[in-house]
Amino acid sequence: MKNNMIFAQFFKNNGLMMGSLLIGLVGFWVIVLVILPQLSMLDYSFRYNLPPAELGGPKDVYTLHNYKHLLYGAEGSSGTYNTVDLMVFVRTIIAAMLVTIANILMCYPLAYYLGQSKGSGFVRLLVVLLIIPYWINEILRAFALRIIFGDSGLINEVLMLTHLTTEPIDFIRQDIALYAGLGYAYILLMLFPMYNVIESLDRNQIEAARDMGASWARIHRRIVIPHAKPGIASGATMVFMLSAGALAAPQVLGGPSSLWFTQLVYQWFNDSLNWQQGAAYAMVLLLSTILIVLTLMRVFKVNMGDIGK
Amino acid sequence: MSSKFLSRFALGAYLIIFFSYLLGPLLVMSLTAFNSSGFPSVSPWACFTFEWFTVLFNDDRILISIINSLKIGVGTVILSVSMGLAASLVLTQVWPRLRTTYYTLIIAPILIPGVVLGISTVVFWDKVGRMFGPSAELFFHNGLLLTILGQSTFIASYCMLVFVARLQRFDTGLTEAALDLGATHTQAFRKILLPFMRPAIASAAVLAFLASFENYNTTTFTFGNYPTLTIELAQKVRYGINPSISSLAFIIIAVTVFGALAVEAIRRNSVRKEAIREGKAAAKPGNILPGFLRGNPAAFVFVILSIIAITMVGTAQSHDPKECKAQVLLEKKAEIAIRIEALRQQRLIKDQSEARQGPDIFSTPDADAGDAAKTPSGSGAFGGVFAPTNLDSEDGE
Repeated sequence: MKNNMIFAQFFKNNGLMMGSLLIGLVGFWVIVLVILPQLSMLDYSFRYNLPPAELGGPKDVYTLHNYKHLLYGAEGSSGTYNTVDLMVFVRTIIAAMLVTIANILMCYPLAYYLGQSKGSGFVRLLVVLLIIPYWINEILRAFALRIIFGDSGLINEVLMLTHLTTEPIDFIRQDIALYAGLGYAYILLMLFPMYNVIESLDRNQIEAARDMGASWARIHRRIVIPHAKPGIASGATMVFMLSAGALAAPQVLGGPSSLWFTQLVYQWFNDSLNWQQGAAYAMVLLLSTILIVLTLMRVFKVNMGDIGK
Repeated sequence: MSSKFLSRFALGAYLIIFFSYLLGPLLVMSLTAFNSSGFPSVSPWACFTFEWFTVLFNDDRILISIINSLKIGVGTVILSVSMGLAASLVLTQVWPRLRTTYYTLIIAPILIPGVVLGISTVVFWDKVGRMFGPSAELFFHNGLLLTILGQSTFIASYCMLVFVARLQRFDTGLTEAALDLGATHTQAFRKILLPFMRPAIASAAVLAFLASFENYNTTTFTFGNYPTLTIELAQKVRYGINPSISSLAFIIIAVTVFGALAVEAIRRNSVRKEAIREGKAAAKPGNILPGFLRGNPAAFVFVILSIIAITMVGTAQSHDPKECKAQVLLEKKAEIAIRIEALRQQRLIKDQSEARQGPDIFSTPDADAGDAAKTPSGSGAFGGVFAPTNLDSEDGE
């Protein structure tokens, strides 16, 4: 009943044609593109991988088999737990968190500097310089780092020229290149939300605090950071979700022995052609990252409405 | 006094480190596009060359993938801009208690990992296709369609954010006035809201196109028979690197730089015109620069870079690194010869010392092991000398 009234009001405000166009577009997006695909992926993840002929047959039943595979490995395998895949999962989550923290620490000073020095030509130049790498392909950015970190890459050449090391350091096998690449890939998604909120901070507040004798650290702890919290949360959420779900950087920069969880999903889906197993792994990734973000948002008392500002 | 100097110094150092982390890799990658060495690297620098651009332009797969990317980009822009606009308009009217839920729902696609979006799109449309029978199945397996749908799912959220920011400054009184004066809702939308939203629509379209063009995570599951440029690049990067990728990167970086400068120059120009119109800054007479360059460093840099680019394309036609390459080949051969000579000397000395001592029947196994360990390391260095040249000759053919 109440819903009906809302709809009537909506159509009165927008007219029948515009109203149905708006509802149609939003409905198509939210229902057909967002909700239904996720639900069908969830459905897939509970099914066996069957040949097309057996679909809908007696074997086509719901099962926890795909999720069990992540926990216990293939049926009949010797180990109790699927340590390989579980380790990859844990490593992915922890590394994504570390990348996020590193990005916060790297971006905060710059965001503060840019946000608080108003509109000089130099600051404008810095912002333009920041935007440029943002629009370079993810793959190409990873490739650029691979050139630098490779065996005969720039860093190794410089280290050997200055005699700091005699043998080239294998940055790729030690995952240094991977972490540098992940930090590099999404750093601007951390910087811009932070910059936006710090820019809106009234300078007088800082001046006042300084006049009253607050120390530099105290000003940041009591004034700037509380004000910047929505921006930091927004950036941190995006960086964490995107690094945990990154595929390009691990594929290009990852060592031969170390995998990222998305690479497992990719292998199940594109190499083994086991969509059901891939869907289950993707589901685990999606739910656990969302759970982590929601938990942290609750811990730091951030609203969903702050994200994306 | 000195603490102020110290903090300025720290700030400068920090800025330099941050920006070299951000821009350094791109710079190095651009440079590798001009090195004739078969593996993308800046040192050792062999010869300045444009040959990798020729390799790039003769690569059909790259050209086809660019066309695919453009098609997908246009489709994604149309779909995600209209969905984003509709969603933002609904957001301004939605029942307050539903607002947070609704906002969460339309912002969520940004946060869902691209891998998940790609898989769910493929799985869902596969199911829809099976529901409608074989001819529909073919239609719903089309890589172009799937990629457009998959990418629009999250790109529409970016567009929505752009529109929401603009809508906050919209005076709804204008629409109400138009409606009171007898305009239909469609007319009010077309004549009032749309013109107001035009700048936001333009920037959302650019944003959507760029996001679509560079997307990898979602597209890698949906592209089917239509690989986009990013997919093609990823294949190349993973299965065999050569500097033609760097040359493509250089072109993309150059286009981005030009784009950013052009936008900045236009912005400054309009600011300046505004100032002149308001009489704040009179057009100074006697300045030799044409109007649009005055007080506009971005436009200035833009013009200079254009001149450099034109000269570069010009010299690329005539520049021939053949001589230099021959020189490098000679140097390499000489270097190899020196190493071989050194190795021969070593062996000679060893042989002599062995001959002097005679067959050492009392040698402990330890000494033997030491010798054995030495030989492979020597051959390792030897092999290392040959490896790069082998690569070169393969690439040359």
